[in-house]
Amino acid sequence: MRQTALQTVYELAKQDSRVVFVGSDLGAGTLKEMREELPSQFFMEGISEQYLVGFVAGLAKEGFIPYVNTIANFFTRRAFEQIAMDLALHNLPVRLLASGGGMVYAPLGPTHTAVDDFALMTSVPKLRVFSPGDANEMRELLVHSLNDPHPWYIRFGKGGEPIFSPSEQPQPNKPKLFGDPRAEILFLTTGILIHEVLEAMKELNKSSNNTVGAIHFSELTNVEFEAWAGRYQTARKVIVAEEHIPQGGLFSIMLRLLHGNNLDTRKMVQSSLPFAYLHNYGSQRDHLSAHGLDSIGLVHRARVQ
Amino acid sequence: MNYLNRHTKALEVGLSTDSVRLRKRLLEITKNAGRGHIGPALSIIEIVDVLYRHVMVNLEDTQSKEWSRRDRFLLSKGHGCLGLYVVLEDLGLLDGMDLSNFCSYESNFGGHPESSTVPVIEFSTGSLGHGMPVAVGLAVAAKLKKESWRVFVVVGDGELNEGSNWEAAAHACKHNLDNLVVIVDYNNMQASGEISDVLEMYPIREKWEAFGFKTIEINGHDRKELKRALITSNSSSSPLCIVAYTVKGKGIKKAENSSVWHHKAKISAEEINALTSDLTI
Repeated sequence: MRQTALQTVYELAKQDSRVVFVGSDLGAGTLKEMREELPSQFFMEGISEQYLVGFVAGLAKEGFIPYVNTIANFFTRRAFEQIAMDLALHNLPVRLLASGGGMVYAPLGPTHTAVDDFALMTSVPKLRVFSPGDANEMRELLVHSLNDPHPWYIRFGKGGEPIFSPSEQPQPNKPKLFGDPRAEILFLTTGILIHEVLEAMKELNKSSNNTVGAIHFSELTNVEFEAWAGRYQTARKVIVAEEHIPQGGLFSIMLRLLHGNNLDTRKMVQSSLPFAYLHNYGSQRDHLSAHGLDSIGLVHRARVQ
Repeated sequence: MNYLNRHTKALEVGLSTDSVRLRKRLLEITKNAGRGHIGPALSIIEIVDVLYRHVMVNLEDTQSKEWSRRDRFLLSKGHGCLGLYVVLEDLGLLDGMDLSNFCSYESNFGGHPESSTVPVIEFSTGSLGHGMPVAVGLAVAAKLKKESWRVFVVVGDGELNEGSNWEAAAHACKHNLDNLVVIVDYNNMQASGEISDVLEMYPIREKWEAFGFKTIEINGHDRKELKRALITSNSSSSPLCIVAYTVKGKGIKKAENSSVWHHKAKISAEEINALTSDLTI
C-alpha cells in the first residue's frame, strides 16, 4: 500500500508541478526515481516532525500540494498541534501519508503502534481522515486528493493486502457494501480489517443460518449514511470492527451518526484493541488474533449472543 | 558590547512621534477589553512599523495583482499582536475594520492574530514555535516559484525555548534561504521573569551563527538601525538573523522590564490612563 501511494504521488507530480513529496528521514531508496527526475518537487527533511508540518503548511499556503510521509504516530502525537493549527486552522491542502497504521509496527513496541490516530485526527475540524483497505483504494483516493481543498490524513496498512476494490473508483471514499442487503449480522469496519471481515463472512455463510453483510468505510469523516441506512435498520446485530483503541474511532463515529438519525444503537457491539499500551511484540496478525480482530475472533463475536 | 549594555542602549533610545502615537493607540484599544499582552507588544512596535512602513512591498491591496508578490510577515510571537494591529491600522491596511473593539465577542481582533478574520495578516499564530517552520516553507515556495519576495518572521527570545525553532533554523540553512529574515525580539524577559532566570538563551548571536545564519545585532527601538539592517539586501547565500535588543514595555516606565505587564487582565481605565500619561518621549 505504501509503495502504491508513493508511486502514485510520483505520477501526480509528473502531471502537476504543484505536487511535492516531503519525507522525514525515510529509507535511502524512497522514490529514488522521483528524486532524480523531479528534484525540485522532492524534499527529504530531517527527523523533525513539528518543523515538517509547519514547513508544508508554508508550501501549501503558496499553492503547492505537499504529500508528506512519515510514521503515523510521529504525525499524530508529535506534531498534533501543528496539524491542528498550521494545517487545519488554515484549511491547507496537505496530505499526511501515515505509515504503519494500527499494529503494523507491533514488533517495535508501543512507541510505534498507531492505535489512537483516528481519535486524535477526527477531533481536528477540516481535516479529512482516511483508512483505505487495499492498494486500489489507496491509489484512487490519492488521485482524488489532488483537487480537494482540505488537509488529509491517510492511514497506511502494511502492504501486500489482497485486492477487494475495483481498480477505478469514481468515488473511492464512499462506503463499500458487501453481502446480503438484508443481512441479519452486519459488520462495519475500516482499513485493512475489511479482509478479516470478508473472511469471517465466508465462514459464517458456510456455517451459520444467519445472513451476513459488511460495510467498509475508507473515510471516517463526512460519512455518507443514506446508502447503508436500510442495511443497518434491517440487521439484528451490528459488529463494529476496528484496529484502534475503543475510544474515538469508528464505533464512536457510528454511535454519534446513528443516534443523530434516531436509530437504535443498542444492537451495536464493538470489537477493538484494548485501551492500553500493549507490551507484547510479535506481528500485527498476532495482535489482531489476541484481541478477537482476526476472522476467527469476528466469527466468534457474530455467534455469541 | 555585552547584552546588558545593549539593553541599556535599548532602554535609553528616545521614541519618535510615530512611536508615541502608536503606543497611545495601543493603550487606548486595550481600554474596552481591559486586557492584553501590553509589554511584549511595546517591544516590537519599531520592528513592525519599520518593516511595514519602509521595508516590505506590495502590501497595499489584498485584491491587487501585486499582492501575490508581497513580502510575507509572520508574527511568530503572536501574543505581541497589539503591536502589529496598531501599525496596520496606522497605515490604513485594516480595510476599515474596527480595532477599538479588540477582544470583544464579535471583534476581528483577538488576543492573537488570525488570518481568517484579518486578511492582511499572513498566518494565524499564538502557540509559540510555529512561525519559523512556516516561514521556511514560504521561503522555499518563493524559491520554487522563482519569485523575489522575502519572508520576515519575528520570534521572541522566550519563544526560542521551543525546539521547533531550532529544527526550522537548521533546515533554513540547509535550503540556503537568503530570502528569509528572522528577527529575534530580544527583550530579555519572558512571562515569569528574566530570560537568564528561566532558560538562558545567551550567547544568542553565536547560536544562530552556529546554525549557519548571517547574524547581526542591533538596537530594536532605533529606527535608523532597523532600516539599515532590514533594507540592506542579504549578500550572502545564508538566511539572515537580526537580533534586535529591545525592552519589554518600552516607553512606559512602569511597564519597562516588568513581567507583570507581560499579560494582564482586568486592567481598569484609570490604569490605562496612568500608563498613557507615563509615556516617555
